[in-house]
Amino acid sequence: MSSEFGSNHPLNQNRKINESKSTWIVSLLALSVILILPFFISGFVLDVMNRTLLAFIAAVALNILIGYAGQVSLGHAGFLAVGAFTTAIVNREMGFPFIPTLLIAAIVGMILGLFVGLPSLRLKGLYLALGTLGIHYIIVYLGGEYQFRWNYNTGIIIENPKLGPIVLDSGIKWFYFLAAFSSVVWVYCWNLTRTRTGRAWMALRDRDIAAASMGVNVAAYKLRAFVFSSGMTSLAGSLGAFYIHFVSVDAFTFYLTIEYIAMVIIGGLGSILGSFLGAAFVTVLPHVIDDLVDLLGTSGRIASHIFAVKFSFFGLLMVIFLIFEPQGILGIWNRVYHRLKK
Amino acid sequence: MGSQEIALIVSNLDVVYNRIIVALHNISFTVKEKEIISILGRNGAGKTTTLRAISGFFKSEGISIRNGDLLWCGNSLKGKMPFEIVRSGVVLVPEREKIFETLTVHENMQCSVSNEINSKRKNQIRNEIFSYFPILKSRQKQTAGYLSGGERQMLSIGKALLCSPRLLLIDELSLGLAPLIISSLMEILSKMRCDLRISILLVEQNAVAALGIADYGLVLENGSIVLEGKPDFLISNPMIRDFYLGAADKTERRRYRDFKKD
Amino acid sequence: MQTLASILVLTALYSLFGIGYVIIYRASRLLNLAHGEMMMLGGYFFFTLATSFPMLSYLIIPITLVICALLGILIYRLSIKPMAGHPIFAAVLVTIGLGILIRGISILLWTSRTRYPLTVVGIKNEPIQMLPGVVLSTFDILTLIGAGAVFLAFFLFIKFTKFGIQMRAAAEKPLLAALRGIDYNWVFAVSWGLATFTGSFAGILYASNVRLDPTIAILGLKAFSVAVVGGLDSFRGVFPGAAMVATGEILAIFYISPLMSDIAPFVLLLIMLLIRPWGLFGTKEELERV
Repeated sequence: MSSEFGSNHPLNQNRKINESKSTWIVSLLALSVILILPFFISGFVLDVMNRTLLAFIAAVALNILIGYAGQVSLGHAGFLAVGAFTTAIVNREMGFPFIPTLLIAAIVGMILGLFVGLPSLRLKGLYLALGTLGIHYIIVYLGGEYQFRWNYNTGIIIENPKLGPIVLDSGIKWFYFLAAFSSVVWVYCWNLTRTRTGRAWMALRDRDIAAASMGVNVAAYKLRAFVFSSGMTSLAGSLGAFYIHFVSVDAFTFYLTIEYIAMVIIGGLGSILGSFLGAAFVTVLPHVIDDLVDLLGTSGRIASHIFAVKFSFFGLLMVIFLIFEPQGILGIWNRVYHRLKK
Repeated sequence: MGSQEIALIVSNLDVVYNRIIVALHNISFTVKEKEIISILGRNGAGKTTTLRAISGFFKSEGISIRNGDLLWCGNSLKGKMPFEIVRSGVVLVPEREKIFETLTVHENMQCSVSNEINSKRKNQIRNEIFSYFPILKSRQKQTAGYLSGGERQMLSIGKALLCSPRLLLIDELSLGLAPLIISSLMEILSKMRCDLRISILLVEQNAVAALGIADYGLVLENGSIVLEGKPDFLISNPMIRDFYLGAADKTERRRYRDFKKD
Repeated sequence: MQTLASILVLTALYSLFGIGYVIIYRASRLLNLAHGEMMMLGGYFFFTLATSFPMLSYLIIPITLVICALLGILIYRLSIKPMAGHPIFAAVLVTIGLGILIRGISILLWTSRTRYPLTVVGIKNEPIQMLPGVVLSTFDILTLIGAGAVFLAFFLFIKFTKFGIQMRAAAEKPLLAALRGIDYNWVFAVSWGLATFTGSFAGILYASNVRLDPTIAILGLKAFSVAVVGGLDSFRGVFPGAAMVATGEILAIFYISPLMSDIAPFVLLLIMLLIRPWGLFGTKEELERV
């Protein structure tokens, strides 16, 4: 990646947006809107928003791994699966309540992250990506075996989680919970990137040889990045399992990993706001295409293969963003903003 | 190539790194047909950058031309791709990474692309190269990675010649070579100039060896030309003696600035 | 014995497939994760041409191959070349995106129904008794012969022709190649064309021998282990790599479970990455570059 440090570095441009005053004002406005919004919108839109928030948590985890620490991973879906299956085993089989289940899922994810991180010490770039991909398939295989052996061929059902006295059984309740949870995640991650750990990660990303010569313990920070990221991803997977009330290995495909990578790229690498924008974009896109197709009233063929349309469009967008705007939406925003400023 | 005389004209060249750091400032010189021009200077003076700018290596090195022009046979070289520049007759022998290590000597020589369509002429050139460097002929089937330093340099020059150049740019020929080999290589270069009718732009730290065959010399320091002239003039110049020939009296540390006044 | 024959056929198929990864890796230093989809496209083009021109029979194969090769060159120019200065991972993501795009469009054009191209052309894929206890189908044999022929031709090409030498030169040091007058963009474009050529050939053979539907692109990822096990930048490693992966997969089917056979290539991939990342015959320095 680029060898330039400092605020002119493209990956640091996105951080500037996070820090400027106007962002704070916008955030406060958004907050007030968020608080009253759920009562004015349909259940369907609420569901989309909830899914966006869920995706956001996993997307941030990936963004921290790839965008901040510069470690390549193609195994994201695998870790989501870990969270989901841990939930199935711990909550459903063993009857653990909500919060402990989440914690256990996170811890299992972290432990697994440690194992996945170990090869990262030897491998770089493409080879690391391959390794993580292999791990993804192995996790998925194991999940499939579990489903098969325990006769859950159609999937495992999860009950509604209880948060103290409150049962999360409606879209609105989930919304407030997820909004609060994501805000905590947002602030925590944002803070993290400004601590020593965060800066060490960025040094790793830019030039790990240089980082090593500056006294950064490369191995330790690489592992830390994997552990943190997989822990949070697993947590997101667990939350997802609770929200959808369902766990099945079919959901965790390589394509899911790609969706998350797309979120990170389309939103903007190395930025938490970017993770959110990307998560929103990728989650909302299929529905937009649905509406477009309805609107255009196009021929039966396209309508009946609507999934393929979304699939192709998604691939096309990925390619276009990568070639023309690698900074993602945030990058476009940056450019527009600077041009308007003149 | 244009119908004009075969010459490289560099005028008022300004080259920058990463759009900010000045690497070369106001460089001007000419290389005419069958001339050997030598660029001298210490490490980091900008000699290699000059060659890179001429041979078209911008993006990979992060350099760009801010001002000035490079004319080869009347046509500007600015903005041309490296392989286009090679095909127009300007060939660079780089300082590092000069041969293909996984290919044999013979295959190395087959890679060069030249405008010469006449296969008879191509064979002629090949035979001339073997006459200059007989050892290449005997090592034809050997993997190039196993050649010694001097042999690599010979192969590298041979490959460059197979591109039918009119102008040869050579970066640090003498690095890492024994004095005996250096002098024989220099002799061969001098011969080539007449036999093959090529001009040579020679970048060298070893001023003595270079000035031995050059028609003219330029001294670079910090990206600018601080001194130029014919070999006799340069060698007799006290500054050259101090900085390159190590003849300075250690009590009198001097800098270029002291000389620039005249 | 039948097991051995099956392994051989699978090795041939995987070799044909895997060499495409190596060609592209040597040229562009990246993994073309859309290779599986391109292989699938080969099958689909074959099918379409067969449907429209059934009278051409076997001739359709070379025509399809040429079309796919041209497509490969087009893909290089439009989507890979623009990524020249960017990090390699980004270029790999572009190939992933391309793969998704191709798969989506394939479903739109040809639906997810399973097709059997041979029935359209009227060629029969019959089982033939080769030796006692060994039965191979026509296309099994064609796979063996085809892979062998392609490998031989490729080997001769890359070792002895001027362009082949230039390809090797550009793969080793693109900058030096440029300094010697080689237009490496053209070299890379041809590399991509060659890779799609071999890949789509594998696709045609598989589509004819087994079946044709959008899911066969998964084979691409399996064949990928072949390239890694053999060495991403090594032509010599393709056959041994293919042999290892094919053996592992078939043995897994018989002695463990069919489901396991699907991930056997990945297990091998992981093991290789852990103990010898540069594969059996790859160059160790490659790791540092990445």
